[in-house]
Amino acid sequence: MSSLAAPAAVATAVLGVLVVVLLVAVAAVHTTRARRLAAAQGSRAGLMALVHDLLDDGDDEAVVAAPRDLDEVLLHLLPQLRGADREAIQTALTRRGVVARAAADLDARAAWRRGRAATLLGSTAGRDHLARLTALLADRSLEVRCAAARALGRVGDPAAVHGLLASLTTARPLPAGVVGMAVLDLGTAVLPALRATLVTGSPAARALSADVVGVHGDLAATSALVDLLTDARQPEDVRRAAATALARIGDPAATDPLARVLLDAALPPLQRAAAEALGRIGDPAGAPALLAGLTCPAREVAAACDDALVALGPEGAAVLADAAGRGGPLGTAAAATLDATSQPGRLVGV
Amino acid sequence: MREVLVDVLLTMSWAVLGYTLLLDLVMLALVLAGARRVSASRRWDGSEGHEEIFASPLTSGVSVLIPAHDEEAGILDTLAAVLAQRYPVLEVVLVDDGSTDRTFDKVAERFGLVQVTARPTASLRVDGTVLSVHRATTGDPLTVVRKTSVGRRSDALNAALNVARHPLVCMVDADSLLEPGALVQVARPFVEDPANVVASGGVIRAANGARVARGSVLEPRLSSRWVVRFQVVEYLRSFLLGRTGWADANALLIISGAFGLFRRDLVVEVGGLDALSLAEDAELVVTLQEHLRQQRRPHRVVFVPEPVCWTEVPETLAVLGRQRRRWSHGLAQLLWKHRRMIGNPRFGPVGLLALPFFLLFELLGPVVEVVGLLCVVLAAFLGLLDTGTALVMFGLALGLGTLLSTAAVAVEEFSYHRYARGREVGVLLLAGLLENVGYRQLHAWFRLRGLVAALMRRTPVWTAMPRTGFTEAEPVPVS
Repeated sequence: MSSLAAPAAVATAVLGVLVVVLLVAVAAVHTTRARRLAAAQGSRAGLMALVHDLLDDGDDEAVVAAPRDLDEVLLHLLPQLRGADREAIQTALTRRGVVARAAADLDARAAWRRGRAATLLGSTAGRDHLARLTALLADRSLEVRCAAARALGRVGDPAAVHGLLASLTTARPLPAGVVGMAVLDLGTAVLPALRATLVTGSPAARALSADVVGVHGDLAATSALVDLLTDARQPEDVRRAAATALARIGDPAATDPLARVLLDAALPPLQRAAAEALGRIGDPAGAPALLAGLTCPAREVAAACDDALVALGPEGAAVLADAAGRGGPLGTAAAATLDATSQPGRLVGV
Repeated sequence: MREVLVDVLLTMSWAVLGYTLLLDLVMLALVLAGARRVSASRRWDGSEGHEEIFASPLTSGVSVLIPAHDEEAGILDTLAAVLAQRYPVLEVVLVDDGSTDRTFDKVAERFGLVQVTARPTASLRVDGTVLSVHRATTGDPLTVVRKTSVGRRSDALNAALNVARHPLVCMVDADSLLEPGALVQVARPFVEDPANVVASGGVIRAANGARVARGSVLEPRLSSRWVVRFQVVEYLRSFLLGRTGWADANALLIISGAFGLFRRDLVVEVGGLDALSLAEDAELVVTLQEHLRQQRRPHRVVFVPEPVCWTEVPETLAVLGRQRRRWSHGLAQLLWKHRRMIGNPRFGPVGLLALPFFLLFELLGPVVEVVGLLCVVLAAFLGLLDTGTALVMFGLALGLGTLLSTAAVAVEEFSYHRYARGREVGVLLLAGLLENVGYRQLHAWFRLRGLVAALMRRTPVWTAMPRTGFTEAEPVPVS
């Protein structure tokens, strides 16, 4: 072992040097930050005065000539503002060259530069860089792709919907949640495209489109959603998304198909979604199916039916009372629900 | 005879040296990978889209599950922190797990609890008896389940899962404080990638010594106790950077029980938390990975280095010893239960990287440390010890350990700088040096005892940690 003493001593010395370097770096960073924060606090009042002048009087000459620290202040304020104030900040950022620098950074080597640039352009640049942001949906970095999707949502151009939906199934797919939020940001102008996707899109695009048309309460999509819900060849998550969307839309025309799915599907998550939808739509015609669902072996389905019957109000209570009077397993389940409903303090969800 | 002994001693010494170097290099790689990830996420936090997630109707609801046993010291702070979460759809399920103090009374008084009829959403096995279910009348989305204790946190969590309503469940310790944006940050991976993400965890930091008011950490401060300071460095090194590194390798095994978010349907599907495990948080993650991998279903376990959960850590060596023995015992249970995953390529990076690492370095590490110390003693006894070489080797081990800890503190200072006062950063750096002498060896001893308890198949016992509560901030006088 003693033969190792010399190399070990050298290694120890190297480690010691590395530790000292780190210690010096920590001390330097801590001191520099403290000074910078103190200086920033001092200058912030002046920079905010410039921003107020810009927003109150439209005086952007002073803003254009201000030091670079102002960029951070403007970028911090931007998401919190709307209307004319937001436009004034966007114009100031463009005139200060921030937007041009971000556009150049879209091709940067570091992923965080590309992502930050996409985010900034989404907030500031209007529709000028739509094509480049859409191209970034295929970036090699997932985080950059997500940033590009969010940016497209913020820009708000309905033309971006096709690129966003296509990004769900490319070789480098985007997570559905990110695309969903971006498509929601595009507003109701994209509803026709989403309705078409319900019929012709990929399974992922169909599920996402169902979610979004549901959130928008798009009555015109009811028929396509019912088709998805009742088509046993569709993937389960597409059918579940359709059930949830029908619940949000609230059209009683969906009551019968939802009741059939609740009774026949034999897929507990889908059955649960159907039961929740029947409760949310509130059509008394769904009560018999919900009553039958009380004895479903899947506990989550039975609980959802229970909730839904309570949500139907007096009509639900009447169906429960009738079933309780007839006895049997169904009567017992109905009686238990009625008993719980009649107790003071009983709350849905407990 | 002496020659044989010398040969054995030499072989063992080489093995211990090689093991130590390998362990430190792996840890260094993990810390560097974690540091790289943390730095990148800090540089680009503006793109994370938390505002969109908060406002999105597509964001799933979360049931926060809090098991509590004799937590009167801090339960109201914990509930205040959870209920103040900036999250769109939230319910809290507190389980009073056979408390013998005023835990329930304090909550009942503060939230005007009324008894309600329980309507379960799952039928997971619960060994304790559920006595009653209550609901807040103050408008807070709080449900309280009272049950008898069987001495296991997992039993309380399963009782909470049985009444949880939302698609995601967040498990939080009753002595923990979540920062206001913690939930939305840790839920972000679920919202963005709902098809793949099955679990997500956040950063745990020591709250001892911090100034707290109504569940909010106003100013993070270091405790005056060295045993807490050592744990702060350990949490930075292992829990912040280590787990970030493992998550990057898609091999994260542990999401801390103090703060972890899971898909409720999957947790119910695997039968809830293991009733007998002492490391039920890691056990749940490994079980989920095994189950989903066997069924070839997509899954990702994510670690988000930003959201912070402040928790009380042990303030005395006795309590620390009990906690670490339990962790080691639990790890041994976990590795034995999932032994067929170890080294098995079917289970991907978890089987090939994480489980072998935890077996070789976490579970057996204390054995090697003790063997190493015995070798030194034996060599001295036989007159074989070269004092100079021994000192150099000790210096090398000290240097590696200090470098790891210093790097962890440096990343904290460069990226998060939670400790504003320079003196506290200095104390952390000093703790990173001092922990290598005494604390580390004691820690190895605690872990060894946990391993022995597991090997002797002693009945797993969950011992509650004595709570001191949080340090309330002094009210600022109005001048």
